[in-house]
Amino acid sequence: MGWYLRREAMQEAPIFHFNDERAFIVEEVVGRIARNTRDPLLLLNDAAFHEIRRMEPRPGSEAGELSRFRDLARSVGKLSEDERRRKLEGLARHWATDIAGNFNPKVYGVSTSVLPRALALLLSPKDFSEGFRTAGRLQKHLVTQGPLDTLRALSKKGTLVFVPTHLSNLDSVVFGFALHREGLPPVSYGAGKNLFTNPFLSFFMQNLGAYRVDRRVRAELYKEVLKTYSSVLIGRGYHSLFFPGGTRSRAGLVEERLKLGLMGTGVEAYVDSLRRGHEQRVFFVPATINYLLTLEASTLIADYLAEVGRNRYIIEDDESTQLERIATLVRKLVLTTGSVVIRFAQPIDPFGNRVLADGRSVDPRGREVDPRSYVTRRGQPVHDAARDAQYTRELGEAICGAYSRETVLLATHLVAGAAFKKLQASYPGEDLFKLLRHRDELFVPGDELERRIADITDAAKALEDQGKIVLAAGLRQSAPGAILSEALRAWSGYHTNAVLAPSAGGFMLSDTNLLLYYQNRLAASGLGFHPGVRR
Amino acid sequence: MSAAERVGVVGGGRWGLALACAAHRTGARVTLMTRRGEPEAQHRGITVVDAFKPLAEGASLILVAVPSEVMPGVARSLGEVVDGSHFLVHGVRGLSHEGLHTLTDVLRAETAARRVGALAGPVTADDLIDGRPAVIAMASRYPEVNEAVIAALGGPLLRVSTTQDLTGLEWASALVGCLVIALGYGRALNIAPGLLAGLLTRGIHEASQLAAAAGAEEKTFYTIAGIGDLMAAMGQDHRPEARLGAALALGDGLDVARQKAGQRIEAITLMPRVVALAKRERVEAPVFETIARALTGSITPQEILSGLMTRR
Repeated sequence: MGWYLRREAMQEAPIFHFNDERAFIVEEVVGRIARNTRDPLLLLNDAAFHEIRRMEPRPGSEAGELSRFRDLARSVGKLSEDERRRKLEGLARHWATDIAGNFNPKVYGVSTSVLPRALALLLSPKDFSEGFRTAGRLQKHLVTQGPLDTLRALSKKGTLVFVPTHLSNLDSVVFGFALHREGLPPVSYGAGKNLFTNPFLSFFMQNLGAYRVDRRVRAELYKEVLKTYSSVLIGRGYHSLFFPGGTRSRAGLVEERLKLGLMGTGVEAYVDSLRRGHEQRVFFVPATINYLLTLEASTLIADYLAEVGRNRYIIEDDESTQLERIATLVRKLVLTTGSVVIRFAQPIDPFGNRVLADGRSVDPRGREVDPRSYVTRRGQPVHDAARDAQYTRELGEAICGAYSRETVLLATHLVAGAAFKKLQASYPGEDLFKLLRHRDELFVPGDELERRIADITDAAKALEDQGKIVLAAGLRQSAPGAILSEALRAWSGYHTNAVLAPSAGGFMLSDTNLLLYYQNRLAASGLGFHPGVRR
Repeated sequence: MSAAERVGVVGGGRWGLALACAAHRTGARVTLMTRRGEPEAQHRGITVVDAFKPLAEGASLILVAVPSEVMPGVARSLGEVVDGSHFLVHGVRGLSHEGLHTLTDVLRAETAARRVGALAGPVTADDLIDGRPAVIAMASRYPEVNEAVIAALGGPLLRVSTTQDLTGLEWASALVGCLVIALGYGRALNIAPGLLAGLLTRGIHEASQLAAAAGAEEKTFYTIAGIGDLMAAMGQDHRPEARLGAALALGDGLDVARQKAGQRIEAITLMPRVVALAKRERVEAPVFETIARALTGSITPQEILSGLMTRR
């Protein structure tokens, strides 16, 4: 299909009519919440408790809001059942309106033409004019792989729910651009409210279907509104994007456990559509987003280690860690030339069955299976929270399996893996935190490092032959020295400290934290050290 | 159970007949699928068929009672006739013959069914056929499957004890089978009850650790599916694993011991893989290692006793 035709087809996506439907969607959310709530008092009390506790220490601009929740806490016990229901609907409406996103087709058109240039700028910080020149070369920076024709076909047969891995705040922007470039429809997605304060990200997000998720709000009602909002969107055919790992993977690991709350809205929306008599198929699309360099690597791995190691780590490395964090923040806007591979896996239905391009679900032996059979009891589609929660847990396992198989290894991952193995071999028996303290202490001769890179690349090739992992294009044929050079080039342009510092005839292992971070991409497949596994 | 509900049972062995009888007793309409005919079932009013299609039609709950080595083939055939609406529950004491997958993993891999479960525990086929009061353990991660099995089998004569720890129940069922070999072995050597209890308690602990490495909950081993099953075996002289253990203790080779057991024993092929798992996961499992060696005849009763007593 030609680019123009693809774009025309893409604009059939329901999100292009979002602004017309916005008010209706909000009311649909409020209506469902009202119908499904048995005890409004419980939810209102919970909301008042959590919101007062959240705002009380620093009311700031939310002083009015805090006062309203205090009033609610005082009065809710005396209200009649009808008044409580009205309060509940009012609060649900307030939150649903706050969450509801925006989509401007005109801005979408402009954004998608500006975005490549903006991304190129982000990816080429040393010289902004160079950034403009390289805008056209973004194709090389961003590689998209997977069953794209199948996904394009399915986008017309049901709701696509993309569920990628999550490493960086750039993910949603990069992913959105990749969808556009490949003629896939734009998606609606939840983004942390804090991200809307970043002018660069905010511009794209505000107009490209992002809805706001305020992670500070712990109230049960808020979570219900959020899930219902997502369910309504999916049910109405809005292609969606979730990061089911929750927050960014701070250790750089491929997600092995998922947060299932939003994912569960897929089966819920499907059952709802059957009950309404208009089957709306839902297709989950796992995907991996793989970076040669990760924008926030230093900050993320430091956070991870601080939490895992608690004070053991902080006491050892306090000032330097802080300096690194500050430097990383400054450098967030000046990422060096990078490489990003987005790899889509085979789409699956909410019950984990593979879906073909014509929309049919098939079982493990390729036999057609009717997805309605999973949710139908005596001929009628029924909601069953316990059943659907288990379907979603198993869907999560299927998605994690796809993440592991579809992880794309890049030069920085292989080189970090090789260097980290040297670190482990040099200090046998030491735990992770002791190993990481050997900064700038260990020298690895260049030929030994290349031999180790060759070993790890050979092991990766063997796993790729078994369909368990993917090597980035060209790595199969690359000599170890070329892989090493590619990784060093990438690191030297970005990270504050050298990751591997050249020294006579070899390298010093300088930033052991970052070596851990980048080698963690090898952990799920067993090619590298896994910090979460007892050794 | 409502007479309108239909239950399918696959497997014409004693265990298949037993499950069919138990469901028939609660009022379910039961269809038993077997290739070799089952006069006793027909005599009791159970419909007997020799194909999978009539079994699956109208029956949302299908109980599978076939040896583990034929499970992949049976599951594949079932896959031709079931869809997402079927509940598939097996009652097989064992794990897959390749790797250490559970048999519900096999059912999942070969069929479109998602709502799977397993039966285990101390109940015997004779208990169910003769209608003696008994307890059976049942697990599914889907509460509605547990409820369907309670409705199909439960009643005044059969208590169905349920859990959602499916992995735990399947591993407990398989590993208790291994420990019953040790029970038969020890009794044949007239080991004092206290010492035997010590050995088996240690065995249950090891089993729970091994299963935990495979994703099970340890606590399931301290329920009717684990230690309950083992306690029952102490009073069940006819358990084939116990007969096998006794024959080995008295100096028979494995082939002769197998014949004396009278039935196929899943634990024999399972033991080497369990011991390999223990090594891989660094689970200390001296009891299981000793049973594995006893099966190969590479250790004498005296060596077993001294090895376990002086273990550090």
